[in-house]
Amino acid sequence: MQLPSFEYLRPATLREGLDWLSEPGTDTAVVAGGSDLLVNMKLGLVTPKRLVSICDLPGMQDVTEDADGGLRIGAGCKLTDLLQHETVTGNYPALADAIRAVGSQHVRNMGTLGGNLCLPTRCWYTNQSEQWRESRQPCFKTDGELCHVIKSSARCHSLNSSDTAPALIALGASVTLASRDGTRELPVADLYFDDGVDYMTMRPGEILTEIHLPPPTGVSAFIKVAQRNGLDYAAGTIAGWFDGAAARLVLGSIGSHPVSLPKAADLVVAGGLGTKTIDAAADAARADLGEVSNLFSPPGYKRRLARSLVRRVLEQLADLQGGGK
Amino acid sequence: MPRRPDFSAVGHSQPRLDGTDKVTGRSLFTDDVVLPGMLCGRVLRCPLPRARLLNIDTSRAEALPGVKAVVTAQDAAGIWLGINQPLLSPEILNHVGQEVAAVAATDEDTAREALKLIRVDYEPLPELKDMKAALAPGAPLLHAKAKGNIAWEQADDHGDPDAAFAAAHHVRTDHYVTNPTHNCYAEFHVAVADFTRSDKLTVWTPTQSALLFQKSLAAGFKLPDSGVRIMCLNSGGGFTGRTATRPHHFLAALLSRKSGRPVKIRATGDEEFIMCRAGGRVEYRFRSGVDRDGRLKVVDADLLFDTGGYVESQMIVILLTSSYLDALYPVEATRYRGRLVHTNNLPYYFHHGGGLAQFQFAFGQHVNSLALDLGMDPVDFHLLNAVEKGHTTLRGTHYASCGLKECIRKTARQAGWKQKRRRKEPLKGIGIGIGAMASGAKGLFKHDTSAAFIKVGDDGKATLFVGLPDMGQSSHTAMAIIAAEVLGIAPTDITVASGDTDLDPLDVGAFTQRGTFNTGNAVKNASLDARKQIAKTAAAELGVRPSQLKFSHGQITVKNQPDKVMPFAKAVFNTLHSQEGRFVMGRGFYNSPLESGSMAYSFGAQIAEVSVDPDTGVVTVEKVTAAHDVGRAINPRIVEGQIDGQIFSGMSQALFEECVMDDGQVLNPSRLDYKMPRAWEMPEVEHIIVESVDPHGPFGAKEVGEGPIVCTMQAIANAVADAIGEPVTEMPIAPWRVLKILGRRKDVA
Repeated sequence: MQLPSFEYLRPATLREGLDWLSEPGTDTAVVAGGSDLLVNMKLGLVTPKRLVSICDLPGMQDVTEDADGGLRIGAGCKLTDLLQHETVTGNYPALADAIRAVGSQHVRNMGTLGGNLCLPTRCWYTNQSEQWRESRQPCFKTDGELCHVIKSSARCHSLNSSDTAPALIALGASVTLASRDGTRELPVADLYFDDGVDYMTMRPGEILTEIHLPPPTGVSAFIKVAQRNGLDYAAGTIAGWFDGAAARLVLGSIGSHPVSLPKAADLVVAGGLGTKTIDAAADAARADLGEVSNLFSPPGYKRRLARSLVRRVLEQLADLQGGGK
Repeated sequence: MPRRPDFSAVGHSQPRLDGTDKVTGRSLFTDDVVLPGMLCGRVLRCPLPRARLLNIDTSRAEALPGVKAVVTAQDAAGIWLGINQPLLSPEILNHVGQEVAAVAATDEDTAREALKLIRVDYEPLPELKDMKAALAPGAPLLHAKAKGNIAWEQADDHGDPDAAFAAAHHVRTDHYVTNPTHNCYAEFHVAVADFTRSDKLTVWTPTQSALLFQKSLAAGFKLPDSGVRIMCLNSGGGFTGRTATRPHHFLAALLSRKSGRPVKIRATGDEEFIMCRAGGRVEYRFRSGVDRDGRLKVVDADLLFDTGGYVESQMIVILLTSSYLDALYPVEATRYRGRLVHTNNLPYYFHHGGGLAQFQFAFGQHVNSLALDLGMDPVDFHLLNAVEKGHTTLRGTHYASCGLKECIRKTARQAGWKQKRRRKEPLKGIGIGIGAMASGAKGLFKHDTSAAFIKVGDDGKATLFVGLPDMGQSSHTAMAIIAAEVLGIAPTDITVASGDTDLDPLDVGAFTQRGTFNTGNAVKNASLDARKQIAKTAAAELGVRPSQLKFSHGQITVKNQPDKVMPFAKAVFNTLHSQEGRFVMGRGFYNSPLESGSMAYSFGAQIAEVSVDPDTGVVTVEKVTAAHDVGRAINPRIVEGQIDGQIFSGMSQALFEECVMDDGQVLNPSRLDYKMPRAWEMPEVEHIIVESVDPHGPFGAKEVGEGPIVCTMQAIANAVADAIGEPVTEMPIAPWRVLKILGRRKDVA
C-alpha cells in the first residue's frame, strides 16, 4: 500500500485555512495528526488532492482554563501532550482514561483530540484495500445501495470507534466549529448522526477548532474493553458522569455513533449508586441500544457487554463517590 | 540445568551466533536484495470465489510506459502447483485472490497502474462457501477427479476397534472445530527472481527447505535441479508455512524471463493473507472407550479439513493426524477417517506442526473430558495411560527414549496441581495438555538425508556448511555447538555458511522438526571426519594412538598422560603446513535407517492457569508450567526460548486468532483486525527440561521445534473448561464464545 500524491498546505491563519478548504473544485480535506486519514488514503477510501494542516494554527495546541473553571482545549492538541496537563488528568479522569485507551503510544503521539472526535466510522467490508473491495458490490459507504453487515438494512452500519467521544459527551463537553461564516458551539453529543456514512453533523467547510469542558463537578469514569492490551479497537467502551443531580452514560464502539443511555442515567439520578439501582440501570441499558450489528463481534455479545459495562462504570462511580472525590 | 559436566559446548547456553547482527539490523533479508535493473512485480487477483475467465486484455497495460512484462495463463502453460492448481488458470478460478496475471514495471506505482489497465471478463459461477455446501448432494464439483468434492480421503483401522468399543466400560463422543488462521510471519512473503540466463534461475526468498523449492521450480521450468539456485539469506519465521513454493515464486521468475531483468514480488498487507495459506477450518469428531480402571483402549477419529480451492500437499495433515491417535497412549485399537474437502475458500495448507497443534486442541480436550467422566484427576489419568520408553505403537513407531511420565509428574508438582485443584476459586481454572512430536520423519523421499561439510582453517577456526535454514529457531547456533563439541573448540570459533543451493550440502529442510536430529547427526559425523584428519597429525607428533586423544577447550590431550598436550590450532596448522599439505575438510551425512516415520520422539506436558472475566468473556493466561523431554538440551537458553515462543503462539491461537471468512474472503486481513496478542499478554512461564538422552540423537538430542505448542492450546482449553464449568469446543476461545456459555451457567459466576 502506498500513499497517493497530494498537496500539503500549512495555512498561517485559521481564515486562510478556511478559505483553502472552501475553494471549489479543489478536493481539499483537513488533516490534524493524520493517524487515521493517511491510512484511509492508502486504502483509497478517501482521495483528497489537498490537505490543509491545522495543527500549527495559532491556539490549536493551547490548553487554557476558563474564568468559570472550565477548560478549553485546542483541537490540534496531541493526545500524549494532554496527559501532561494536570487539569485534564486531575479534573476529568474519564477523558484522561479515554485518551490513554486510544491506539498505541505512537498513535497518541501523532493523534489529536479534535482528530479523535472526527474519527471516521469503520467497517471490515470497507476499510480494506481497493483490490479487496473489488470482490464485493459497492455498499452505502462506497456509493452503493446496500450494507454488507446487515443485508436488509437501509443504512450503513459502520462503527464509530472514537474513544474520547463517549468521555466528552458524558462530561458535557462542547466544541467550537469555525467556518467562513463565523463560529458555532455544539454539544459533543450533537456532533454525530446514527449513520455510518453521514456520521458527523459538521457542515462542509467547517473546522473543529476547540473543545470546551464545563467546570469539573461530580465523578467521572471511562472503561474500554478490548481483547488485547493496546493497539486494539474496543469491543466496547463506556463513559459515565454523575454529580448527584444529573447523570450521563455513553457507550462507544457499539454502533455508528456514541450511544447515550438516558433510561439508565435516569434510574441513577432517581436512585443513586446503590447495588439495586446499578443492577436496574444495567438492565435498562439494553432498551437504549436499538439495533446492534454483527460487525467485529456478535450482537448478542455486544448486548451482554453493554450491560456489564454499565454495571462496571456505575460501580466505579460509586467507589469514587464513596472515596469522597 | 542438567548437563553432563564433561561437555564443553553441548548443554551450555550459547547466545545466537547471529544475535548481534539481528538486533543491530545488519542481518539481510530478501527484501534487502536490490539488483541492478530490478523491476517491481505485482499480481492481478481474481475478485470472485468461483468464476470462469471469459476474456483478458492486457494491451493497455503493456502499452503503459515503464511496464516491462505482463504474464497471463498462456505464459504459464504447464506449470502446476500441487496436484490440481495451474499457476495461472486459463479458465476456471476457484478462490478470491487467485492469481490471474502479473506485471513487472520499473516502479511500484507503475505496476499498480498497469494492473488497473488489465481488463478481465469473468462469469461468476455458483460457489461452495463451506464444507457443508461442498458435501451437500448435488453440489457443483470443483475438480472432476475429486468426487463429491472430497480431494483426499484416508480411512484405516488398527487393531479391532469394533471389538474394543464393545468391550469398553465407558464410551464418550465429542465434536470440536478449529477455525482458519494465518501464520503472521515477521517477514512478509517475498521473492526476487533472476531468470535473465535461460539456463539458470536464481531466486532469493525465505524458505524452510531450499531443496524442495529448488526441485519445484526446476520441475516447473523444466530445468535440471542444478539450473535453479535458491538463496535464503534469513527467514523471518516458518511455522510450517514456508515448506513449499507459492505462485509468487513462479510469477517472479516468469516476469524475469520475459522482461530480461530481475523481478521482486513482495506481498502487500492483505495479499499476505492470500499468499500465506495457513490452516483452514477443521471439524473433529472423537469417540473413545476406556475400561473399568480408566485405561484408554480405543480411539475413533473422524476429521473434515477445508482444503479450499486446490490441493497442494495437504494430505500430509491427514497422514500426520492419523499417526498421532496412538502416539500418547498404548491403546488396543484405532479407527481413523480424514477427508480433505474442496470449497471456494483459500487453498489452506497448515499452521504449526502440520496441523497437529490444532488437532491436539481437540484431542486433548476430549481425553480430559473422558477422565472427568470417570471422576479421575486428568493428571492421574495421563500417568495411568501415558506411553513409556520401549513402547511400540500400533503403527510400529518405537520409542527408544521417552520422558513423558516424568514430564507429567514434574509439571504437576511444580505447578502445585493437586493443591490448586482442591482450592478451586470461581472463574479460575487449571488444565493440563500432553504431547508427543516426531524428530524428523521419512516419507517425502526415499531418504530423509541431511549432509554437512566442515573446513578447518590453519588458524584453528572452522566453517560449517549446512543446507538447513535458520528461520528464527537458532538451528545454526545449535549446529555450531555440536561441531564445537566434537572438535573441542568454542561455538564462536565456528562460522555457519548456509542459504545458497550452489554451495550448501543437501538437506531436506527445516520441517517435521528434523533439524537438530538429522542435520545435527550429519554435522556430528562431518566433525568426526575432520577430527580424524587432525588426530592423525596430533597422534604422530605426540607419539600416541589417535584413539587416545581427547579434544576439548581448544586443546588436544592424551588420556592418562597429562604432560602430552597440543593446541588444536597447532595441530590443524601442522596438518596443512607439511610435506603432504593436507587441508582439513570433514564431510558427513545422516539418514534415518527406517523405511518411514521417525527415529525419535520428544514428549511434553504443560499446565496452564487461567482466569476468566465474567463480564467480558476475556480469558487471561496467568501462568504456564512446561516440562519437555528434549532428549538433551544442546543449547538450554534456546530450548527455553523455543518453549516460550510456542507457549505464546499456542496461547495466541487458542484465544485470539481467527481469519473471519465471508464468501471466501478474509474479513480481517491485517495485523490490526486479525488479533494476535502482544508481549503484554505473555504469561509467566516455568520451564522444566527433561533429558531422556535418546540413543540415536546427536549427544542424545531430540526436537523442540513443535513439541511445546501441541501441549499449549489443549492445556489452556482445559483450564478454561475448569474455570467456566464446560469446554469451549471451538477455537479460538474468543470472548463471545466464553460469554455465551457463562450466560447460561449462572452457577459459575
